[in-house]
Parts: sequence; structure tokens; C-alpha cells
Amino acid sequence: MSHNSDTIPLHASSQSDIDEIENLINTSIQSSSSTVLPARPPSPPRIPVSASPFIQSNLPPLQPKPQSTIQKPPSIVPSAPLPPLPPSSGNSAGGSISGTGFGSPPNTLTEPVWDTVKRDLSRIVSNLKLVVFPNPYREDPGKALRDWDLWGPFFFIVFLGLALSWSASVKKLREWKESEVFAVAFALLAAGAVILTLNVLLLGGHIIFFQSLSLLGYCLFPLVIGALVCMLKDNVIIKVIVVSVALAWSSWAAYPFMSSAVNPRRKALALYPVFLMYVSVGFLIIAID
Amino acid sequence: MDPSQPPGENYASPKTCFFHVLFKAGALAFYILSALFVNSFVIIFVVTVLLAALDFWVVKNVSGRILVGLRWWNEINDLGESVWKFESLDQESLARMNKKDSWLFWWTLYITAVAWIVLGIFSLIRFQADYCLIVGVCLTLSIANIVGFTKCRKDAKKQFQQFASQTIASRVSSTIQSAFSVV
Repeated sequence: MSHNSDTIPLHASSQSDIDEIENLINTSIQSSSSTVLPARPPSPPRIPVSASPFIQSNLPPLQPKPQSTIQKPPSIVPSAPLPPLPPSSGNSAGGSISGTGFGSPPNTLTEPVWDTVKRDLSRIVSNLKLVVFPNPYREDPGKALRDWDLWGPFFFIVFLGLALSWSASVKKLREWKESEVFAVAFALLAAGAVILTLNVLLLGGHIIFFQSLSLLGYCLFPLVIGALVCMLKDNVIIKVIVVSVALAWSSWAAYPFMSSAVNPRRKALALYPVFLMYVSVGFLIIAID
Repeated sequence: MDPSQPPGENYASPKTCFFHVLFKAGALAFYILSALFVNSFVIIFVVTVLLAALDFWVVKNVSGRILVGLRWWNEINDLGESVWKFESLDQESLARMNKKDSWLFWWTLYITAVAWIVLGIFSLIRFQADYCLIVGVCLTLSIANIVGFTKCRKDAKKQFQQFASQTIASRVSSTIQSAFSVV
């Protein structure tokens, strides 16, 4: 950059643009990421980075520029990776994506494995809390499951299937073989979630496929708890009560998201199948557990 | 990446390669051999699908990063739209990647998917819907990874080309600027 001091700046902003592009070239040679944006004061990295074979992207603290002038160098980064959410954020998940600086994006490539595990686990927990427990963001589908993941639903479905099939084998129900029970539960829940999502999409609703799959899976959590409780108690009346409570809780959890995604006149059309699916799972639990 | 080794002759990160292959091979082996000694379908299902899910996670998060320097994920932006994000190392690091590592990475991905398709055909022939379910889940996971990483690689190439042309253009323009200002 020393040769620039010899030149007469033609125009303040164009000179700064040239500076920035040259900084980009220089820093990208040093750094380990092709998606480095130039000249941002580096924000404190939120994800701890350990020594690894890859070069750390040390964005040198260049002359501080306001964010607006360099927001998009026109051609470099068509898909800039936004930094992943910090592990401890829960409800603030939505806000922090746009707010964090570019100190962190290279870190997802170089972070140690344990950090990835922790990040994914904490994401499951935070998604669960967002969906199933009351919180102020529930009404807004954009924020409800911003950070969807399918691991939570996967574990819940497998666990529910295991619980049902274990009861079927222990109680020696003659009509149900345990393998059938498990396969039926798994297929019902997985296919049901897909079909329900398609139902909303076909009704002209605005949801994202994976977000909705994720939501329907997380809403199974109360039913999983209900199934666990039913495994322990044998009284039919208690089972019916427990399952109805779990059912109501699941439907309550799924309601805001699904209803806000569709036209208000079609709310019932979208919600009724969801309710039906959870009712059928409830019946499975009562019958088998 | 030990500089004393002749480049390209050994695996650069053998532990990662091992894990990359371990879960895939484990899922396939368990599925094939389990009929011999395990009676319960549920156990076969759960163990196979668990191994396949672990493999998916390892490939997506660990071996993709370390063996080929690529990463992909999906985010939902402020407008509520879903955006697929791709991340890759810059061209110099990519060129430095061990060729054997990346060869292993890509070929095992493809071979696993083909193996699951073959197993799926077998179970279809035998009309075992239960086993088709297992195969379906594992196949979905393999194909998701293949598609994700292929798109990521294409995106990385495109980005590099754009970056290279931008670099050339900016160097040319700055040279011209400095030439004019000196005059």
C-alpha cells in the first residue's frame, strides 16, 4: 500500500475503494478463507478457535471504515457465509446473525470438532425451548425456528418409536409385532411431517419446507414425554389423561407457526391435519404403551 | 501436513480419513451382516440409522472441512427466505490439499450411495418394506451430502474465478491510475 501514498487521491471514495480491493488481495493471500471482506474492524470472535493446520484468518485491523461503504464489493462474494450463531444464544438467535462481524466466518472451517458438536447440541436445545415452551417470539414464523435443524426431530421420532416398540414387546401384545410398531411409528411421523408441510404449501402458505419439518418434529416432544410416562403407569384412565394433556400441548406448540403461515380463512385446513396426526400418535401410545 | 513427506504420497490427516470411512462402512456392514445374528428389526434399524446419521454429521462438519476444505449449510435470512450458504478455503489452501485425501473423500461418498441403492434394490425384490425404510433413510442422508458438497465445490470454483477476474481488473485499473497520476 505504500505506493498509494505517492499518488494524488483522485476522489476520496474511489481511492478508498482501490485501497480496499488491494487490502482484500493482500489479506486473502494471508488468510485461509476466500470469502474475506476487507477493512472491517474485527469483531471479537465468538467461537473459540484453536491451533489447527489451517492458517488463521487474521483480518488485520485496517483503517476503520464505516460498514456501509464496503458492504458488498461488487463481485467477490456472491454468497458470503454469515457467521454461525454463538453457542449460548437462545432467543436472540435471529438478531445475532446480521449483527456479528466478519471475524468469525473463517472459523467455521477451522474450528475444532468439539466446538461444532457443542454448537449443534446447543442449537437443538434452544430450538426445543423456542418451540415447546412459551416465549415472546412464538408468533413470528420468521423468528420461531430461524435456525432449524433436523437432529432434534430425528432423535424424538426414533425415541418415540423405540418406546412404543419396547412396550409392544414387553407387554406381548399379540396384534402388534415390535418391528411393525417401530416401522409404523417412524414412517407415520416422518411421512406425516412431509405431507403436512406439503399441505400447507399447496394451500398457498408461505413456509420453508425444512423449517416446517423441523417444527413439527420438535412439537413431538410433549408426546415423547407422554409416552415415557405411559410406559411407567398401567392405568388406562391415567394414560388417557396424560396423552390428552400431551396432545393439547403439542397442538398448542404447533398452532402459531402453522396458522400464521397460511391465509386466515384456511387456517383450519392447515391445522386440522396436524391435530389429526398428533391424535393418531396419541392413540398409538394409548393402545400400545 | 508434514513438509518432510513427499507431497501426495500419504494421507495428510489419516485420523479424519479413518473416521470418514468408519461410520459409512459400519452402517453398510451392520446392515448386511446383521441378518445373520440379530433377530430384532428394531435394533437393526436403530443402529444402522444411527451410524448413518453419525456419518452424515461427520462428513458434513468434520471431514468435509478437513479433507476438502468445503462446508455447506442452510440459513433463514431476515426476510424469512431460506438461503444455502457455501464456504470454502481460498484457492491456495485448496491447491495445497492432499490429493489422496480428496480422492478418498469423493469416491467413498459416491460408492456408499451406490451401495445403498444396490441394497435397496435387493430389499425391494424381496418385498421387505421394513428394510426399504432403512435403506431409504440412509440413501437420503448420503445423497444430501453428495449434493451439498458438489454444489459447494462448484460455488467455490465460481467464486475463485470471479475473484481472479476482479483481481486482474483491479490491478489493471490501479496501475493505470498510478500511471496517470505520476504523469
